[in-house]
Amino acid sequence: MTYLLKSLKVMEMEEKFDAIVIGAGAGGLGAGYKLATEGFNVVVLERGQRIGAKSVYGGRIYSKIFEKEIPEFKETAPVERWVGSERLTFMDEDSAVTLETSFKSKDSFVAILSKFNEWLGRKVEDAGGLVIPGFKVDDLVIEDGRVRGIVSGDEKLFADVVIDAEGVNPILAMKAGLRGDWSDHEVAVGVKEVIKLPKETIEERFNLDPDEGTANLFLGSPTKYGFGGGFLYTAKDTVSIGVVLRVDSAIARRVQVYDVVEDFRNHPFIRRLLRDGEPIEYSAHLVPEAGIAGIPKLYGDGILLVGDTAGFVLNRGITVRGVDFAFLSGLIAGEVVKKAHEEGDFSAETLSIYERKIRESTILKELSNFRRAPHLLSNPRFFEDYPKILCEVMKSVYAVGETSSKIYPIVREKMSGRVSVLTLLRDMLSVVRNL
Amino acid sequence: MSEGVANEKTGGKKLSVEARLGLVAFTIDSEPHIKLKEDECEKCNLRYCLFVCPARLYTEEEGKVKFNYEGCLECGTCRIACDKIEWNYPRGGFGAHYQYG
Repeated sequence: MTYLLKSLKVMEMEEKFDAIVIGAGAGGLGAGYKLATEGFNVVVLERGQRIGAKSVYGGRIYSKIFEKEIPEFKETAPVERWVGSERLTFMDEDSAVTLETSFKSKDSFVAILSKFNEWLGRKVEDAGGLVIPGFKVDDLVIEDGRVRGIVSGDEKLFADVVIDAEGVNPILAMKAGLRGDWSDHEVAVGVKEVIKLPKETIEERFNLDPDEGTANLFLGSPTKYGFGGGFLYTAKDTVSIGVVLRVDSAIARRVQVYDVVEDFRNHPFIRRLLRDGEPIEYSAHLVPEAGIAGIPKLYGDGILLVGDTAGFVLNRGITVRGVDFAFLSGLIAGEVVKKAHEEGDFSAETLSIYERKIRESTILKELSNFRRAPHLLSNPRFFEDYPKILCEVMKSVYAVGETSSKIYPIVREKMSGRVSVLTLLRDMLSVVRNL
Repeated sequence: MSEGVANEKTGGKKLSVEARLGLVAFTIDSEPHIKLKEDECEKCNLRYCLFVCPARLYTEEEGKVKFNYEGCLECGTCRIACDKIEWNYPRGGFGAHYQYG
């Protein structure tokens, strides 16, 4: 070997990372955290100007996985409020019926995802990982069917393995032939407004202790009675409200998606809660909604898929869970890379243990347990008939003129021509069995 | 900040989508990251893009679809609703900078 070739070889070696992670969301940072902690030479590439600049979600994170994996979580995580009140609201045009469950719990917390991911990024850096913002990956380097690195502009970076955490739009995973695109019934568009209010005002209006928050989901008018729901999460001195609407439903109902959250904010029930609040940000993001059926092949030669790219989101209708799943899938990807490194082999065969480990993890246990949820949440009665009927029934039950009516005749009247009693019972049974 | 037009239906204030986009910090690239295929759009009768975009960046002018990439929230909804759009994220460091996402 000539001297020149040798030195080129050395340069190549120096420029090669153990792992390249695409995207500094919870999934990518989970992988970065695990690999950096294990002493690997890992780089996390983030297209946003800073970590968190592209992060958008509803508002709540489940805490157990983070508590377990990050030692100083309790002391340092940017928790806005611990969820101590869960509310489910059925809404029509002018009224709302709410079921509130109030309890002390530390299972989940309200967080601003932009800030939370920024914090996770610092943890990765503290562990010795490299996170580079403002760096967008345009393509993968694929040689002989094997992923060798990434392309950004006219720059190329190489690694033993690429962890694809690009998010819900799987542009690179599709280019690599690892997965197809989502259909319109498999993703929902989430649109959000953040409203600033004084901390004390939030606690008074929502009946909360100083460190306590509420998670409120809404069925009915917020989605114009299409598949999906409205949400409201109280942070420290902001409230996030939004609407998540399945794209097929938005199309079928010709919903003006650009006005859904504004109409929601102007509903009398929400308007009063947010009175004198100042809107400070508007955002939008897609949400995978296909459950276990939407999970693609998770690995290829030299590549693993994590987080939203892999469809790891659970929508139970009454709660949504994804950030901790993304982080956990990143951790598992990191473990698998460590194993592959020990064996000196990054082929699909070796990396296939990732799929097994995901299957054995909380992620697939949960998605499998609620495997019927996506089907159930495609039942139009839950989004149109039942919210309307419930609101109308409750309004009539409380209505007193000179005389008033008993509940049963009211229920029969409101259900008539819409839903039969048998269908109602069957649907209720399906809810308690599958959600 | 403009409060937009009053919403008669609710008696509350209503922010226009333009006013809401004004709340987002952007660095606009000189080149669009999303491109339409004009001839495809011209003959398209569906035009879902006109109502599914949360930023209302697709509009109709004299029967033609117009698109403004500035103000893109980078969600990808148009990409799902229409497979004829040449969709990409903005270049690194460009586009929306969310603070409360």
